[in-house]
Parts: sequence; C-alpha cells; structure tokens
Amino acid sequence: MSKITRAQATKLLLTKITDQPILGGIGGPTYDLYGAGDRDRNLYTWGSMGQISSMGLGLAMARPDLKVIVLDGDGSLLMNLGSLATIARKAPPNLVHIVWDDEVYETTGRQPTHTRAGTDLAGIARAAGIRKATIVDEEVGFTQTVDRALAEPGPWFIAVKVIPEKGTARPPRDPIFFKYRFMRAIEKPR
Amino acid sequence: MFWSESIVAMLKRHDVRMIAYLPDTIVHRVVSLIESDPFFERIPVAREEECVGILAGAYLGGMRGAMFAQNSGLGNCVNALASLAVPWQIPMLLFLGQRGELGEFNVSQVGMGQATRPILDALRIPHVTPTRPEEVEGLVSDGIKLAYDTRTPVGFILSRQLTGGKNE
Repeated sequence: MSKITRAQATKLLLTKITDQPILGGIGGPTYDLYGAGDRDRNLYTWGSMGQISSMGLGLAMARPDLKVIVLDGDGSLLMNLGSLATIARKAPPNLVHIVWDDEVYETTGRQPTHTRAGTDLAGIARAAGIRKATIVDEEVGFTQTVDRALAEPGPWFIAVKVIPEKGTARPPRDPIFFKYRFMRAIEKPR
Repeated sequence: MFWSESIVAMLKRHDVRMIAYLPDTIVHRVVSLIESDPFFERIPVAREEECVGILAGAYLGGMRGAMFAQNSGLGNCVNALASLAVPWQIPMLLFLGQRGELGEFNVSQVGMGQATRPILDALRIPHVTPTRPEEVEGLVSDGIKLAYDTRTPVGFILSRQLTGGKNE
C-alpha cells in the first residue's frame, strides 16, 4: 500500500538533484515535475505516450557525461515494455528510470491499469535484464534508493507505488521553447 | 561504391552517429557496415517506435541520428513522429527498406508498401526514393542538409530498384 503521492516523491527527488537532466513523461510525471520546481534541465512532454523511456536511453547513450533521470508512468510504460529490453541490452550506467505507479490512467479519469491487477513493473524490468530494478512505496525507501541510484552506476529502474492524485501544475504547452532551453542547458562547452 | 557504402559515407561526413534499428533483410546491408564501424553508436530496438524516442533523446543531447527499419516499421512509428519529432521540430533520418511494390511475393507486405509514402506525406515529412546507386550520395547528402538545416525528419525509401529488394 503506497504512502506517498507522486507530487511528494517528485519534490523529494528534486532535493537530491544537482545538475542531472530530468525528462518528464506525458501527464502526471510532467505536471508534478513542473510543480515541484521548474528548472532549465527539466524537459516536459505532452504526447508520444510511452516514448519517454526511449528518449532517456537515447540521451543517456549520446551523453555518457550526464546522469539522465526519466520520470515515467505505469500506463505509459505499459505501452513500451520493449524499451526495457532495449535498455537492458545497452545497459547505460548513467540512466535512472523512475516509474510513478499509481495503478490508474489519472489524466483520462482514473481508469485502472494492468498494475492494479497485479502486473509487477520492477519484476518485468528485472526479467528484461535490468539488474538494479526495485520497487518502493514510502518516503524513506524512495530517498535511500534515489541516493544509491545517483551515486552508483546503473541502469536503474525504480518503480514507486504512489497514491493516485491529479497533477499539481501545468507547464505552458510550448515544446519548442522547452526543447531549446533544455538543449542549451546541457550543451557541451566547445 | 555500393549504395550501402554511399549511405554510410554520407552519415559519417555529416556526423550522424546514433543509429537505432530493427534488423531487416534490406537495411541489413547498411547496418552490417555500421555494426563494424566504431564511429557509430548503435541501438537495436524491440519495436521501431522506440527509434523515434531514442533519436529525439540523442538529438537533445547534441548527437545526430538515423533509424533503419523495414517500411512496415513506419506504421509502428506514426504517433511518435506525429506527436514528438514533427511538432518539436526534431530532425532524424528514416531509412526504410521498401517492401510491397513491384516484385513483391508476400501479400502481407503490400498494404504498407502502398501506405509508406502517403503516411510520410500526411505527416509532412519530406522523403526521397533513390533508384540508382550513383544518385545515393547526392540525395542522402541533400536530405541530411534539409533535415538538420530546417529541423525536420526526412525519409529515405530504399527501393527494390536500388537494393535488389528481397526475393523468395
């Protein structure tokens, strides 16, 4: 039984983050990332459900100098489970894939996802070949796992069971602005 | 130069390093060259849609990228292209092994063979179909310029006339 909301966990995460880029998946992950604290190294998305794990893999492989944090949702990841096997095959040590698992499609009216019926996303990640795959459901466990994930090589997969709650904020829907802001923030000095 | 060697040469000339791909008979002729060349960063995927996310992520990090797949894989990419690559103006190169046209033996390939260009047109993704090895260098080079100078995906349809296709 979860004891933390996605917004609370996102705020906790941001207290641990320094210069790591964070990619927010569609819906709640993006809304609560913006709500927890806007920063140049946050990227928000409003579409291409399921693709945030693949975007994180591409960024992590292109930029081994950065620790890339991905904020995914259970409904989104269920659309792109194959990406877990792809991540496992390349095994980028600098990728931290966090999935807020509230067991519902929050944005569309809180309909249950497969995880409500028992699907174990961390188990799937482990079986796909991601060895550092774990599940947490409260503040202390989450904080300790994030500390380890930021300090130790991955790839990491962290499923966080969260209490369903509406997204706390809405970033302006301006992908081009956020794209350039993010790219400039992480650009390598020439 | 073989058509496949011309593509690899153009990717290297234009610093396109990230290659996301799903194995396919036709594109394997290029991918096999890429697999043995340390210039490239290679990511084999489970489903073609992942390529769009991977290449978008790589581009945000400053690395140019290309996808290689059979044209059937374009069907698996439509929403990711329509909601990510196109509206975000993220350039990426889509190399598609074309099945389902003249010489096809498998009826299940014909639908996507007919739909490939209309899908790209509907997404406003420019595309070109080289048919002769000697034109590959120029068309790919110009396609890469269009992609990165105007920030759009660009499709390269690898025709049976160019590649010999797949026979059974």
